[in-house]
Amino acid sequence: MVFRKIGKRVKYFATTALDRAKFSLVSIGFLLKRPAYLLSFLVALFVFLYLLSFFKDGMSNWSLLCSNLPFGSKLNILGQVALKILNNFTDLYGVLIIFMSILQALTVMLLIFTWKSRKKDQAIDGASTGSIGAVFGFVALGCPTCGLSLLTPILTAIAGTGAVAAAEGISRILIILAFILLIYTVIKLGYTSFIAISTNKYKEKKHAKSN
Amino acid sequence: MQKAIRATAILLVVGLLFALIIYNSMNPPKPETKVWEKGMTLGDANSAEHVFYDYTDIMCPYCDKFAIAMDKHLDDFKKEYVEDKKVFYELRLTNLLAGFHPNEEGLVANSTNSALAGYCASDQGNFWGWYGWILDKMNEDFFSKGIGDSATAKQKIPKLEVKYFTGVGEEVSGINEARLTECVEKKETASKLSQNTQKSAKIISGGLPYYVFNSYVAPGFDGNWEVDHDWENARVMFDAGIASKKK
Repeated sequence: MVFRKIGKRVKYFATTALDRAKFSLVSIGFLLKRPAYLLSFLVALFVFLYLLSFFKDGMSNWSLLCSNLPFGSKLNILGQVALKILNNFTDLYGVLIIFMSILQALTVMLLIFTWKSRKKDQAIDGASTGSIGAVFGFVALGCPTCGLSLLTPILTAIAGTGAVAAAEGISRILIILAFILLIYTVIKLGYTSFIAISTNKYKEKKHAKSN
Repeated sequence: MQKAIRATAILLVVGLLFALIIYNSMNPPKPETKVWEKGMTLGDANSAEHVFYDYTDIMCPYCDKFAIAMDKHLDDFKKEYVEDKKVFYELRLTNLLAGFHPNEEGLVANSTNSALAGYCASDQGNFWGWYGWILDKMNEDFFSKGIGDSATAKQKIPKLEVKYFTGVGEEVSGINEARLTECVEKKETASKLSQNTQKSAKIISGGLPYYVFNSYVAPGFDGNWEVDHDWENARVMFDAGIASKKK
């Protein structure tokens, strides 16, 4: 009896989540057809791809930018990071970076839409969850014990070098959490957007009829 | 209202995390300036205008990208930096990876035995010859085939016999293979290695490799196993190090 109840609940939850995911895909498709939202998605995608590629090498690029190198050399380093975006297509971490950037860019696009649709509460909610996911992603990507992750300096600052031993395990957990949070945010904001889009369409139709 | 407070709190935590990273990178611990292992240095510590410490572990893939590029351009480095710019370079060899990955039996053994062999080779007076030899060998056997201990490697390096690190044959002048093997097997350099690894653990704050070049400090090395490209990246770092010298 209890198992049947739990089973029913799980089934209900899975169906609802799947439905919401479908609705959010519809709203994402709808928004991407609008030039202003497509542009915001592309700009956000580039920004996140750039930032994640920059910090993929941990603090090494940051150290060079903070150094006394001439301005031209620093510009060159920034340019090299832009080229690295293309290299992301050739390795596993690169694919993770691309996928994570797409989710973050979708979150930004959906946030703009929900905020503009006067659903500020949902937008704030989405921004909080999305930003935690984004930070987990930034911190955990890269190789922690190779000096190529932001997680190691955080861990060593808190718990000393001994904590590096735990860094790889923590980084794997954080990457998984980042993806779960970002996917959850996209589905949640996408569903809210879907409702807003449907409401707007209904209002437009009603308005057209009354005229 | 409650949601806005929650969002602000999250932003504050995020900001604090990044502030911690930046503070940590701007205020690194100061390394000991006394030479750790004479055989692992280049240049003259007394007349040097610039000091460059390179914390490494032979089993660390990104350390070896840098080391292989350095080895292939060692003459350029000696001429341009050690002689012309009066750089004193010290390789601080550790087995830190054994501590970072205590559950990986193969990595623990390889990291320790390779470092012990490095100190033993230094005792015989030709560390640089041995270092170039082991880097070439590891590159040929593992790294060039995508085998290694990096996060993206296809396969991990298996536990290697002591002989792997000591079997120099006639390839490295001044190194007696039998003596080198005996030195590693009897762990004659273990106390030196342990001491230096413990000192390194207090210095490094962002994983290996870890570079301290004057007041320029950087963890990690960005490279792609293409020697000339890696060498160019290394040169940018050297320039940053030289430019960081406080006048």
